[in-house]
Amino acid sequence: MRKTWTLSLALALPLALAACGGSAPAGTTNGGGGQSGGTIKIGSLHPLSGSSAADGQQMDNGAKLAVEAINDAGGIKSQGGKKLELVSADTQGKPEVGQSEAQRLIQEGAVGLVGTYQSAVSANVSTVAERNKVPFVIDVSSADSILAQGYKNTFRVQPSSTVLGTSGAQFLDQVSKAAGKPVKSVAILHEQGPFGTAVRDAFKAEAEKSGIKVGPAIAYDAASVSDLTTQVTQVKASGADVLMVAGYYRDGVLAAKAVDTVKPALNAVYGVANGAFDLPQFPKEVGAAGEGYFDANYHADMTKPDMQALAQLYQSKYNDAIRTGAVLAYDSVQVIAAALEKAGSAEPAKVRDAIASGEVPTLIAGPGTIKFGPTGENLNATPILMQVQGGAPKQVFPADKAEAQPVYPAFKSQ
Amino acid sequence: MTSTPDQDHVAAGNGGGVATLDPDELPTAATRTVPWLRIGVIAALIVVAIVLAYVRAGSGVVVVQAVTTGILIGGIYGLVAMGLTLIFGVLDIVNFAHGSFLALALFLTFGLTQAGLHVYLALAVSVPAMFLLGVLVQRGILAGAMGKPLENQLLITLGISLIIENALLLFFGANPRSVALSGDRGVPIFEAVANLSRILAFVGALLLAGLLYLLLQRTRLGTAIRAVAANDTGAQLVGIDTRVIYAVTFALGTACAGAAGTLVAPLVTIEPTTGSLFNIVAFVVVVLGGMGNVVGALVGGLIIGLAEQLGGIYLPGQSPLLSVFIVFVLVLFLRPQGLFRRSA
Amino acid sequence: MTTTTAPAATTAAGKPLPRQPWNRHLLAIAVLTVLLIPLPLILPPAQASVAVRVLIFALMSIGWNMMSGFGGMFSFGHAAYFGIGAYAGGFLLVEHNVSPWIGMLVGMVIAAAFATLIGFLALRYKLRGAYFALATFAFAEMLRLWATNSEFVNRAVGYHVPLRPESSWWWMQFEPASANYFWIALGLTVIALVVSVQFVRSRAGQFTKAARDDEDAAAAVGIPVMRYKLLTMALSAAITAVAGAFYVQYFLFIDPDLAFGSSVSIQAILPAVIGGVATIWGPVIGAVVMGPLNDVTATILRNPPPALEFLQGRGGLDVIVYGALLIIIVLLLPQGIYGALRKRWSRR
Repeated sequence: MRKTWTLSLALALPLALAACGGSAPAGTTNGGGGQSGGTIKIGSLHPLSGSSAADGQQMDNGAKLAVEAINDAGGIKSQGGKKLELVSADTQGKPEVGQSEAQRLIQEGAVGLVGTYQSAVSANVSTVAERNKVPFVIDVSSADSILAQGYKNTFRVQPSSTVLGTSGAQFLDQVSKAAGKPVKSVAILHEQGPFGTAVRDAFKAEAEKSGIKVGPAIAYDAASVSDLTTQVTQVKASGADVLMVAGYYRDGVLAAKAVDTVKPALNAVYGVANGAFDLPQFPKEVGAAGEGYFDANYHADMTKPDMQALAQLYQSKYNDAIRTGAVLAYDSVQVIAAALEKAGSAEPAKVRDAIASGEVPTLIAGPGTIKFGPTGENLNATPILMQVQGGAPKQVFPADKAEAQPVYPAFKSQ
Repeated sequence: MTSTPDQDHVAAGNGGGVATLDPDELPTAATRTVPWLRIGVIAALIVVAIVLAYVRAGSGVVVVQAVTTGILIGGIYGLVAMGLTLIFGVLDIVNFAHGSFLALALFLTFGLTQAGLHVYLALAVSVPAMFLLGVLVQRGILAGAMGKPLENQLLITLGISLIIENALLLFFGANPRSVALSGDRGVPIFEAVANLSRILAFVGALLLAGLLYLLLQRTRLGTAIRAVAANDTGAQLVGIDTRVIYAVTFALGTACAGAAGTLVAPLVTIEPTTGSLFNIVAFVVVVLGGMGNVVGALVGGLIIGLAEQLGGIYLPGQSPLLSVFIVFVLVLFLRPQGLFRRSA
Repeated sequence: MTTTTAPAATTAAGKPLPRQPWNRHLLAIAVLTVLLIPLPLILPPAQASVAVRVLIFALMSIGWNMMSGFGGMFSFGHAAYFGIGAYAGGFLLVEHNVSPWIGMLVGMVIAAAFATLIGFLALRYKLRGAYFALATFAFAEMLRLWATNSEFVNRAVGYHVPLRPESSWWWMQFEPASANYFWIALGLTVIALVVSVQFVRSRAGQFTKAARDDEDAAAAVGIPVMRYKLLTMALSAAITAVAGAFYVQYFLFIDPDLAFGSSVSIQAILPAVIGGVATIWGPVIGAVVMGPLNDVTATILRNPPPALEFLQGRGGLDVIVYGALLIIIVLLLPQGIYGALRKRWSRR
């Protein structure tokens, strides 16, 4: 008897759940306004759980703030002040989930998608978007290959790995020359995935153009690495005067700790699109050891009053410092909203055309507005140079975006 | 209900050959004597590996640093693997949740240091807390799956790890956290350097291995645990309550994860997924050292640490993990019962 | 497992008397296939895409079940075969413009060869149980690490399958919501099911099961254990490789983690254990239950019933529910759903 009971319970449980899940008209209870028929839906696909949940949640919050800002300002005026509604989905960082969630959002009527942080997920969602002819604005995912497919419906706000690596090398050259100590040789430490490899290649090519010697270039597995002391010792033995690091948060911290331990004779540790060196929690985690670290990265422009206001709003609403990923998500929603305004229609194909031809102001530091080229790449996406000064990352280069002067050589003791 | 699972457990053990449970494979005398020959061969192989690395790198400093780092990291791998190997050896459970228990201990340590406690004093809380949790998990969840096939237990522990990791995410948020050891600095060792916190973690690993060894070899509880590992039906016949032993052993395993979590807290970035970083390597270490062999886990950890660091020099373009798996597969084929026979 | 296989052990030593009604299995497969054919025409696209995912799960797990269920060799590295299938398809299509159907066949052959090699080594050195499992795991991981750093297969970037302007059966590419994807996956799954029914009732299958239940006895009565075990592993790997090859054409993208990651190996195990190890229907039932479970918990927690409203918008909660359900199912139904049902039926 007992067996029968447990058996039927175990069988009934998932089925009952499935029934509940299926019967709920998905996506209707989200808006809060209770007028879902009158809203225009935008889909937000980010990793809300899993190992990238911190960034994913930030970005989802950024997208939410953008929708609120637009609605508070009167919605889409060319469409009679229609309000926007953000439909959030958790990709769990998995391409399969990203794909079916993207499919679901489109099915629920999303006229545009923003996302997704992981390149593998973005690659997948971009094919879904392409085949359904719904515009997809990538906020963060730097892999070059995504936009190399010739897709018409995928746009990227963030700079590609190649742009990051190239600009990173130029900035380093310019800053060191201005300080009167031109860089002679650079050692590279990079994660072995597509992102780190592409940044390395672009950086190396550009640096060698300026006569900088590049090598050794040491790769590591970001997912499993637990110590970088040996690698930094190799850098020390090579006699390089700058160490370039391209990687994510955890491994960036490990690199900083290893540099602090091994103490190679470097003029600077120089991140390119590094996931750690430009974050406020990085100096908190490594302490004084992080002082002077550079990072050439796309970054929210803290010299803009709008950006300062957004950062304050974020802090008060979510009790956390806003990250650039959230700002990119914010901008990406703005891109879709501006296109809705311009197109005067919520038809995905028209929205797509309006995105392709439009220009949208941005909160990210760069030379101009968000404007897409023929492949969907943001033509004005460039990094700026940040440096940890006084325990916090500051914008230091180019001069018109600078909050403070770059300090080079970054370390006094050498 | 009480005796059947244990009967099944023996059947599964023999049929699947889960651990070296066969009585004739458990040498009673040999475990006491130190396998000098084997240690000599391993040591010689390590020396050859170091010399080759020197030839390859052409820089003495780099090799010395690689060996130092390898040994220190190896100690940490061994530390993480000790709890796993106990559980593996005695309960025959491939415990996928071990990394999550470690993560839980990391967060616990973080909370305690936030409250003003010194990192290493947090051990006094994290170890008993994790022990208690281990008892609860074993009695509450895993007891019902004792003796079930390997894949069932694997999925259950996978479920436990999903729950722990995501509960941490839910309550603490996803922002990375850190614990600083005040006075942490680089300590020179020959031409190499190492962080004080890493050296202390290594010493902690040695102490823990010693303690566990004494516990298993010199106490009544240890004897009972070894008896259950060798033959649980037999142990039951001589009056050992196997249910208690299973719970205590599992709890010892999670308590080890607790100790490891506190000891590595100053070295790692604390996130809900941090623990699973160590999972794969820990499994490899367990097999290398022989399931259930605590000292073997420490030695296995050292070998893996060295393989990882020296492998990075041999195969510069490849991931250091590749050399770890190559060593692992070679050992599996040449000495499937592990480098050292189990002594637990 | 031990109880269900006990009868087989007694028959296998002598004459392989099939105790299961094989033709009824085949009939059930045929009926289900006919019933499922209209499914993609009814389901909305997002749910249809979940249905295709369920079939991919099932296919992977049918492969795993053959080696680890019927063969008794617990593989924790089926990602190796899935990945080989996926990479063979992706590599041949992208680099050499070869049809995915041919890529699928090539992937099956390579996966079978690789499985035979691993199997030979593992059996030669008498690895068993957890040791065998960890050896298979190590090989899958080595493939992942190799692919991540090998120029030959485009390193960590992997392959994008290029979109074609028009639908084509030869290139296995259709409109995004096309029912053809479901039908292809259904066809492949049905073939795999029929193959596994035929395998289990064949001499080879009976010998393999005999060797699983008592290897020494099987060898004593003259069964060439090694040969049949290797055959089983090769077949198992080939089926899982099909799942990989289809995965690439459906998701249009593959990289080393998606192909060879340890989560792939777990996905191959999960449906079979939930549904019932060493049963024909276990993997299918398990895939149907577990495949959508993630989406279901996510949906419920996105729009929770009033009682659970306070939980809304908390990242990770859906995964906790999923983990808890996983534990409950495995604990309550240790022999899987089908295993438990069969036990009840046979008692009547």
